[in-house]
This record gives sequence, C-alpha cells and structure tokens, in this order.
Amino acid sequence: MAYAFLLDMSRCIGCEACVVACKSGNQLPVDRQYIKLIEHTSGTFPDLTGGFQNHRCYHCADATCVAVCPTGALFKEDGLTRLNRDACSGCGYCVQSCPYEVPVMSDGRSSKCDACASNVGAGGSPWCVTTCPAQALKYGDRDEILAEAKERVVALKDRYPKAQVYGETQAGGLGLILVLPDDPETLDIPADPPATPVVVDAWKEVVQPLSMGATVLAAAGAGVLGIIARRNHMAELREVDDKKKAGVTAGDSDTEEV
Amino acid sequence: MARVELEITRRQFLAAGVAGTALLGTGMGPGRSNMAMNYPDPPWFSQGDVVTTYNYCDMCPWKCGIAVQTVNGQVMKIDGNSLDPKSRGMLCGRGQAGVSFMNDPDRLQSPMIRTGERGEGKFREVSWEEALDYTAEKILAIKDTYGPEALAIFGHTTGDFWFTDYFAQAWGTPNAAKPSSSLCLSPRDEASTLTLGFPVGGHEPMDWDEIECITLIGSHIGEDSRNTVMQDFIESRSRGAQVIVVDPRFSSAAAKADHWLPIKPGTDTALLLAWINVLITEDRFDRSYIDEWATGLDELTTHIQEFTPEWAAGITDLSAEQIRTTARVMSDRLPQAAIMPGRHVTWYGNDSQRMRAVFILNSLLGVYGRHGGMYFNKSPFLDSYPHPPFAVTGSSGGCSAEPGEESAELPLGPTGKARADGARDTFLRGPTAMQELIDPMITDDPYRIAGLMIYGVNLLNSIPIPSRTIEALKKLDFVLAVDVLPQEHVAWADVVFPEATFLERYDELSTVPYKTPFIQMREPAVAPMYDTMPGWMMARELGLRVGLDAYFKWETIEEYLDIRLRSVGSSLEKMHDAGGVIIQEGKPYLDEFVADGESPFHTASGKIELSVAELAEAGLDAIPVYEPTEEPPDGYYRLLYGRNPLHTFAKTQNTPVLSDLSPENELWINEDEAAALGYVSGDKVWLENDNGDRSGPIAVKATQRIRKDAVFMAHGFGQNAEGLTLANGRGASDTKLMSRYKLDPISGGAGMRINFVRLVEGD
Ligand code: SF4
Ligand code: SF4
Ligand code: SF4
Repeated sequence: MAYAFLLDMSRCIGCEACVVACKSGNQLPVDRQYIKLIEHTSGTFPDLTGGFQNHRCYHCADATCVAVCPTGALFKEDGLTRLNRDACSGCGYCVQSCPYEVPVMSDGRSSKCDACASNVGAGGSPWCVTTCPAQALKYGDRDEILAEAKERVVALKDRYPKAQVYGETQAGGLGLILVLPDDPETLDIPADPPATPVVVDAWKEVVQPLSMGATVLAAAGAGVLGIIARRNHMAELREVDDKKKAGVTAGDSDTEEV
Repeated sequence: MARVELEITRRQFLAAGVAGTALLGTGMGPGRSNMAMNYPDPPWFSQGDVVTTYNYCDMCPWKCGIAVQTVNGQVMKIDGNSLDPKSRGMLCGRGQAGVSFMNDPDRLQSPMIRTGERGEGKFREVSWEEALDYTAEKILAIKDTYGPEALAIFGHTTGDFWFTDYFAQAWGTPNAAKPSSSLCLSPRDEASTLTLGFPVGGHEPMDWDEIECITLIGSHIGEDSRNTVMQDFIESRSRGAQVIVVDPRFSSAAAKADHWLPIKPGTDTALLLAWINVLITEDRFDRSYIDEWATGLDELTTHIQEFTPEWAAGITDLSAEQIRTTARVMSDRLPQAAIMPGRHVTWYGNDSQRMRAVFILNSLLGVYGRHGGMYFNKSPFLDSYPHPPFAVTGSSGGCSAEPGEESAELPLGPTGKARADGARDTFLRGPTAMQELIDPMITDDPYRIAGLMIYGVNLLNSIPIPSRTIEALKKLDFVLAVDVLPQEHVAWADVVFPEATFLERYDELSTVPYKTPFIQMREPAVAPMYDTMPGWMMARELGLRVGLDAYFKWETIEEYLDIRLRSVGSSLEKMHDAGGVIIQEGKPYLDEFVADGESPFHTASGKIELSVAELAEAGLDAIPVYEPTEEPPDGYYRLLYGRNPLHTFAKTQNTPVLSDLSPENELWINEDEAAALGYVSGDKVWLENDNGDRSGPIAVKATQRIRKDAVFMAHGFGQNAEGLTLANGRGASDTKLMSRYKLDPISGGAGMRINFVRLVEGD
C-alpha cells in the first residue's frame, strides 16, 4: 500500500510548529531540520500576494535521490522515500540531484524527512502531522489523500480560482500531495520537476555488479554527473534569484552546511 | 544555499564507487535488505515505559494543556493534551520546545548572593537556607523602615501567582505589577469594562465555530503563534469566513486575508470611527440589539457624523471605497462578524479610546452573546485555598483578575498607602502600571520603594527606557531575581533564586475563563534539576521567615492542591486519572441570560455604554475621537515590533532548539527604502533612535511587505546577558530603542509605538 501526506497550503500559516515537532519527536540534533518555511511574496506594496513554501521531502515515486544513491541508504517503501543514515556514505549525490533540493548534508551524511519511519513503524503518527495547529497536514492512504486533496481544491475555487492539487503526477506521483492556492511557481516549486534519466538506473546497476564494462560505467556516470551539473546550474540561478527577492523568515536562516 | 562544488563531487563520485564496492563485499546490497538490519532505530517511546504527566505549557502565557512523556526518567517529548480545550492535542513550535527549555545548559543552577557591584554579575553560590534567610532579613528591614508598600513585586508567566498575587497580598504591598497589564492588555480590558462591564479576559471570546467575518487590527495570528487562536482562525476561514486584516505590514495573517488594509500606523481610531459612521449613516447596524442592550446611540449618531470614510481616507492612507466596502462586508454578516480585541494594544497612548471604538463597533454589529459573534466567558468554579484575610487585596489585578471582577477600587496597603504608580492621578483606572513604579524608585515620590522582587520578568527587555530602569536598580536597597535563566537584569540582583521549570514542579491550578470553563493542572514530570526550587516553595519558605505563617499552613503543595480540588469533587489523583483537565459548563449566549432575567453587561446602566459618563466626568472623551500621533522625524522610521512564531517575548531566545531554528530577528524595511539607503537583505545594520540609543547588529530584510514609513522587528532579541550563550548579542532589541512612551490616561498603559529609528553602520 502507498502512503502519502496531505499538505494544504491554503491552511498552513507558517507557524513552524511542524518544524519543531519533527526535531523534538525525532530527537534531531542542532543544525538538523527536515522542514523549512520559506516566505514568498509577489507584487509590490500594497498589491501583494504571498505565502510560505513549506519545504520538506516530496517523497517522489520516481525518486532521483534513490536512483543515484550508491549505497541503498535511500530507498522506497510504501510509496515513501526512506533514508537509513547508517548506510549513507556521505557522497552527496542525493543533495546534488534532488529536483526539489531537499536532502542536505548534516554531520557528513544525508539528512531529510524519512516519513517518521521509526515513529510510524512503532505505531505512532508523524510528529509534524499531529501537532499542526492549522491542521494543514494529514497522513494516510495515498488514494484517499489524493481524493481529499481534490475535494479541498474544489471547495477552494471561490477564494482561489487557481487552486490546484500538486503531486498527482510529478516525479511519478508524489508522497506529499499539496493543495496549492496558486500556481506552484509562486512558491518556487517547479511545476514539472525534471525526471530521472533512464541512464541513472543503469548506473545503479553498474555500481553493483562490477563485472560490467568500464565503458558502460563511464557512460552511466556521465549521466549522473549531467544531472548534478544541471542541478548546480539551477541552484546558481536560484541563488541569483534569491538575492533579487526580498525576505526570508527568521526560520529560514540557511544554516545547514553541505 | 551553499552547495558542493562539482570538483568535489567528482572526487566523491570515485570514493563512493569504492564505498559501494566495500558495502557489496559485506554482502549488503542496496535496497531494503540492509534496512532490515539496522533501520529504523526503535523510537524513544519503545525504549521503556512511557509515563505521562499533565501540565500546562509555560513557553508562553497562553497555557495550553500538555501531556508530558517521560521514559526512563527522561522527559522525551511534549504533546498537546487532547482533552484540553486550549491545545486539543496540538501545540505550537515553542510548546514543542519545552524540553529544550528545561535542558538549557545556561540555566541558573544554585541560589546566589552578590559579591561584586550591582550590575557586575558577580555572585557566590550559597545554600537555599542562606539565600532565604538573607532575603527575609532584607525585606523585613525594608518593611520596618518604610512599610510593606516599599517592596515592589514584579511577576510574569505561570508561576507569578505565588509572588505577585499570593505573597504580595499576604505581605501587604499594592505595588505588585505584571507586564501583561500596562505593557500589554490594560487598555483593552479597561475599555471593555467601561463599555460592556467586563474585561475581555485571557481568551478573546470569538465564537469561531459560526463566525462569518473576522477583523484583525494588528493581530498577527501565525506570527503570534498562540496555538488555539491559530487553530480557530484557520478553521473558520477555511469554513468560508471572510477575513479583514488591518496592518501596516503584509503579515502572515494579511497574506490570508480577503481584504488587507495597509493602514498608516497610528490612525486606527480614524478607521474605526469611519466604519461606525458607515454602519450608522447607512443604517447597517443591528438596531434592535442596540435598542434593547445599549445606551447612548443618539450621542454616538451625532458624534459620528463628521467622521466619514472620506475624512478617514485622508488620515489612514486607505481609500474611502476600501473603508466603505469592508464596513459592508462586516454588516452583511452581522452578528456573525466581530473585530478581534487582540492582545498587545499599548501602542500610541490613546489606546483605551481606540479599544472603546472597537467595542462600540462590535456592539453595533450585535456580536455580544450572539452565535457566531462573541460569547461570554465564564470562569470555572473552584474555591481558593482557605487563608486569613489578605493585608491588601487585588494588588496586581490585570490578567489575574477574573471577568466581572471590578478593578475600580484602588487597593490600599495596611498602612493606608495607595499604589505608587499614580493611579487616579495620572490615569483613571486599571491594574498597577509596572512602568509607573520605576520613577518612584528613583525619586521616592510619592514614597520610597526600596525593594524589588522580580519573578520571571525580563526587566530590561520589556519596560521601555531601560536606562531609567537601570538607574532605579542602582538606587534600590534590595533586589531579588527569581528566574530560570541568567537574564540581563539578573546581573543587577543582590540575591538570585534559580527556579525549577514547569516540567519539574507542581504549581497552582490554572483556571481558564472560556465558553466551557476549565481547570488545568501542573504536575512534575521529573525532579528539579540542579539546586533549583519551585516558585511556590520559595514563596512559602520566605513567608514562613517573615511572619506570614498563617497564609502558608499547608505542608506540601499536594495538600494545597487537593484542598482546592475538593471543592469541585476532585483531587490531584482523580484529576490526573481523568486526563489532567476538569471542564465545566459555561453560559456563553445572551438568550441564557434573558431566560434567567439577568443582564450580562455589568455597567452602571446594566447595558452596553456607547457613551461613557465616567469618562466625561474625568474630563476625558465620552465617545472616542481620533488624536493624531507624532510623526517620525525626517530620515527616521516608526519602530513597530511584534512576534516571531518561534519565540515568546524575551524568554525563549536562548532555548537551544528555538535558537537553532531562529537565532536572531530581522529588520523589515520596505525594499525601495532599503535600496535608496543602499541596503539589501542580509546586510547587517545598527539601529539608532532619535535619542541616540542604539541596538544591533540586525540583518536587513528588504521586503515589499511593509509600508515605507515604518520598520518592524520581532520583540525579545538583542539581549546583553553574557550567561545566555545563545541569545547574547543576537539581533536588535526594540525595548532598547524605546526612549519614551506615552501614558494612556484611562488605563495606565504605556504606548510604545512612538519611537523612531534610523539605520546606521556598525559600532
Ligand atoms: S505546523 Fe502546520 S501551519 Fe504551522 S508551518 Fe507547519 S504545516 Fe504550516
Ligand atoms: S514525517 Fe516525521 S520526519 Fe518527516 S517531516 Fe514530519 S515529523 Fe519530520
Ligand atoms: S501557544 Fe504554544 S507556547 Fe503558548 S502555551 Fe500553547 S503551546 Fe505553549
């Protein structure tokens, strides 16, 4: 069965309770966080619209991070993208390749939301979901979550004509289904994230059976580096863009080291 | 976001290839097989028996009911108590950081007595016995020389009851004060009492379940992360309620608004008068409600004629059209349309009149006691602990006063002296005004205040004109600081009592006036860390040493609490077993009062007073008028301050998990203004007010989200306390940039938004 989160951005008010609940529930150390609230604003005073990007793992079905991870630290389970930090070699490919810029390095290993594998595995509910005062978050069967997201969007159309579901199809279908009041770009979320090239899957095969020829290895490796290069380019563009854009919240102090 | 250079990546690619090989060598291939070996770790709640204790959160004064989870003697996590009407199982980010607050390594760990000069912060650690004996000796000397009034007691947050209320009243000082009164709520609650006959009380009693239009004036829901309010606001809005937000800043709440009115700061009363004008002149108010429940409509109608939307447009920077439209949005939904009273309302010194205008408008909308308007709060029934009559009653009042309780009588000390804060002289009514007690400490006028006990108030980061406060601290004979952390003012104390946090102590029961009144309990999850002590024990130990034994008859706090709970047929044990909360029935709606033949409005007339004779008699305006506020000088911006969702006042900046996520504040300035000054987001600047006071450095946040005539920052940063390793020197302090305030002649509130700053280069 596939699980998913519902994140309703018409409800989220950017209070960061989820951020702290995740840190305290998962006993995360200083400098590690799995959710970030990033403020976005469009227009000029006083004709403004704006909201928060609630930046967290999207749990892509076709997860590029899983595809590039050479150790299997990142893997798919129940529709979610898990991360076993103990198995992480610290290569940073996931950081480089994620189309949503989610994983970051912390203490030399990858770090991102693993959908509360330990907590949920022992019968709990994801920490972020249980605490959210705006009830913007929900967790459950992906089909039901998707259906509810669609219902919510219908109800939102009066207030938000551009309301939409995000995540039904992106990256093979996300495990984080967003209800968005406006186009995803207004929150700096790519409408259509670049898919994982087929060559990456081949490359994964390469790392395992070393019997494969060096030529194939090189070709596949080049594919991965291609993605990484493209992601670096995107990051650079974004940085330029960020500098142009005003305003980050206090919670968005960009402190993580890579 | 700093990213790995491609060069490094290439090198790591090769290294990882090797690592992959090595892994394969152990027989663990990628995929799920290795997961089964060591992933995931069992969660903390599977590592031992989970013991749940019930408590109310102390990370802000809102007091959400919490369930504290302890495993193997370690507090692991705090959850919202799902039975509690405030938290309903959810918590804000600060509440989630309660464990981190307790585990802050910078905590005060032992009682201390000063060795160096006051302010130097030099102390020697002493035993509790010595600290308590010494303190008792000092305050008794003050009492003998000057009388009990000469001891002032300041307190804030949930344990303050023992000092500011219980000890102060038993001891006999009317000079006990809370910042939550005159630095926050007083104008609101005095205006409400004058107009409606009851204060707003802790909860703004919006009838969220059925409300159709919510108007916020300077209420920053979302940035002000009071848990319950965020829940209710989002739920009613999602249900379809219209949201009108009046704010010079495009706040998180404004971003959720259907109508945002980016008002010029200081002109809210003009907007409110114009809204009243529209409702009356267009006959869009609830006339039958007013006829039955209010007096003064004729006077109001005459008064309001000239205050047209066109008049207000020129003052507020809003269009007459906007003002009319929003008034109609409200009136189309009355009585399911209410203006939220808000909390921090000490802005410009005319704040009670502004709040009067809010309550008049709400009355015209017919909201009080109506479904979907505002319900009537009721306090839970619970007997007090039996004690001899207090030497002075209602010494601090304010937020500890229950709705319906009159604050008209000035409490007098046993020697017949009234409060030293100038009440009845420089302002009309209301609880003791903390900032007005500072001058008497310096001037001995109207009499000498020689001692000060400070419980949990961050003195130098809450009272405006901190330089004046320091002068007062120098002049006092004795200063006691009770705190969890070595806050800035603690360096100025003679004696320091380190307190056990809310997770390590029993405490007074919390009685919450609400639609369904309820009682919350606090029981310790763990024993006090270090050599700390709960506040109730300090107050009692002091009481026993200064001859107040009769008030502290109980041997243990459990006994005290059990006796109180007996009056509602409960006990500590029963209350714990029932899930930590006792919920009673309220009387929220008007029809219930009508059925009982009572009026809910406890004014002289028994009705809502649109025009207040008491104000006219005192030479004040019986109906609010708009008074212009001072404009910033050229090159200066009005300093606005507010909240950050992860911090409470100046209390949580050193809490490790909160400091990690939100280490300092930012200076919101209009992007065009910043560009003209040559600043971009992230630049560090200092701020200087028109008095030459400085604070900083603070990072610029150049944004379109704010008007050009004001700057904004979250309150509570910019502390200078060496013992706070995380908070010290981080960000800028709004308080340190307040070289003046304007006294509200009605409530004694300190209007603080009349300070102006400019951006300057570093010190
Ligand atoms: S807790 Fe809920 S409302 Fe607050 S930031 Fe997280 S998702 Fe948004
Ligand atoms: S699901 Fe769990 S790990 Fe993921 S963000 Fe929420 S609390 Fe954190
Ligand atoms: S609003 Fe947050 S900090 Fe305040 S009492 Fe509730 S959980 Fe605690």
